[in-house]
Amino acid sequence: MTSPTTVRVDDQLFEAVYEQYFPLLTQIAAFKFQVPDTDAEALVHDVLISYLRKAHDIVDLRPWLIGAICYASRHYWRLNGRTTGAEAEVAGDRVDPASLRILDSLPDQLAAREALECLGPRYREILHMRYFEGCTVKEVASRLGVKTKYAQKLITKCLRRAERLYSQKGRTR
Amino acid sequence: MNDRGKIVQMGGRRAPRPQLVTEFAEIARRMQDERVAAANVVERLLRDTPTEQWRDLAGRPELRTSGALEKLGNYVTQALGRDPRQALTAAQLAMTLCETLDGEYPAVVVAQLSAHAAKDLAKALLYLGRFDEALSALDVAEARVAAHGALAHDLAIVRVVRATLLHEINRYDDAFALLAECKEVFREHHDHKRLLLCGINEGVLLHRMRRYREAREAYLLLLPATADSGDRDAMACLYNVIGHCSVDLGDFTAAEMYLSRAIELFHTLGQPLQAAKAELGRGRMFVRRGDVQRGIAHLRPIRADFMRHRMTEEAGLCGLEIVDALLARSAAGDAEALARQIIVEFTAAALNQRAISALGYLTEAIAARKASRDLVTTVREYIVSLRTSPERPFAFV
Repeated sequence: MTSPTTVRVDDQLFEAVYEQYFPLLTQIAAFKFQVPDTDAEALVHDVLISYLRKAHDIVDLRPWLIGAICYASRHYWRLNGRTTGAEAEVAGDRVDPASLRILDSLPDQLAAREALECLGPRYREILHMRYFEGCTVKEVASRLGVKTKYAQKLITKCLRRAERLYSQKGRTR
Repeated sequence: MNDRGKIVQMGGRRAPRPQLVTEFAEIARRMQDERVAAANVVERLLRDTPTEQWRDLAGRPELRTSGALEKLGNYVTQALGRDPRQALTAAQLAMTLCETLDGEYPAVVVAQLSAHAAKDLAKALLYLGRFDEALSALDVAEARVAAHGALAHDLAIVRVVRATLLHEINRYDDAFALLAECKEVFREHHDHKRLLLCGINEGVLLHRMRRYREAREAYLLLLPATADSGDRDAMACLYNVIGHCSVDLGDFTAAEMYLSRAIELFHTLGQPLQAAKAELGRGRMFVRRGDVQRGIAHLRPIRADFMRHRMTEEAGLCGLEIVDALLARSAAGDAEALARQIIVEFTAAALNQRAISALGYLTEAIAARKASRDLVTTVREYIVSLRTSPERPFAFV
């Protein structure tokens, strides 16, 4: 018979999995694939529930879930007949996986603001445009007068720098 | 949220609504409990009920759970090699049970369970050579998951079975295309085990088409990733199939190298019978390169080893390699005697009647001194193919 302690631990584990991955997965659906907010949440919920049946079979959960949400988001647009230039926009908005990890690791808005304070004005401006004003990469590129691909590189570079400076700051506190 | 309705948050922290977390944890807990509860129930019910009455078990509430359906799926997989008709009955029971699940679980879970039940049914039908019905079952399986974007991984698992079926009905191009699609899905999900399986399926397909060079290339491509994964069982299997392909290509240096590695690794892993199968490859290699006497001397103890372990089919296949070698040496009388001996062994072990008929055809051809070595190869490949398609008819053109 399963002891009450075991059940409690399992409950916490399930909840921890959900809480750990929900933010990352909604972000992928909403930012990378531009799925509307409410639908992104529903897709993520489906992905996390679908994982339950094969939990014992999945070796590496994080990439499995990321793969699943990417397929779910593409499927969403196939069903909902995207009318804008999907490929171009998605390509422009494609987030570097490394930067996703960084985003996921920053604990909250406050931390983000603190991280921004560590940066120089140009870097701060770029991240502000992208994440506080909600500009697409294409829009950031247009405002900076650079190509979209270069803008994406700049954003990734800014995120990495923010993470590095912020973690150094944390160590000296 | 900004004015375009998109999430705008630095740091990507978007907390889930508490009711979603609660729902998820409840479903998780329920599925886990059902899995534990089903562990003995399914086995006991199937053991205590005559197979012809399994259909009546659909009314049992303890079987109408996700856990029980999972166990039934496992049962179907295990029964396929032992008793495909029993596997079919179990798969049909699972399908009936799935029809009663609407509303019991979230729609995405019901779709998963139904799709896997239909896929298992297709596997059983495929095993019995009922290809049209298997295709219909796969259509059902795909339809169940098609509406749910979150189930791309499940859809790919179903499509691997479809690729196997297309392979069996000689639609090789379609099978390749489907496997390529599935590989992409598994790659994106970092499911290395199924990715490897797809690669091996491609190799088997090419081998069946006698495109040995391409088959070997397909297997060689899998080596680095398999080595990185540290899966030594898979490594040994790959060395073995690469060695066999090399024998068929006449590349005896490579054959010797890969077969030796396979034999060594199988022994290290404590799998002497797998090592014997690789040794069989070396025996074939001796015969192909003209060292017929050495080949026969190498193959005879391997055949005896298989017989000692009651592996009649493997012993028969090894025997056919010896028949081939004897024909190469123009010893038709000895070849005929050995072929007849294999028929006796297959009959005593009650192996597939179609295999016995094919062996009978070969024996008569040898007796009439009209048997070519190609005929021996065809019969051997046909017997191997009966493992996945036991109803496949024998055709020698």
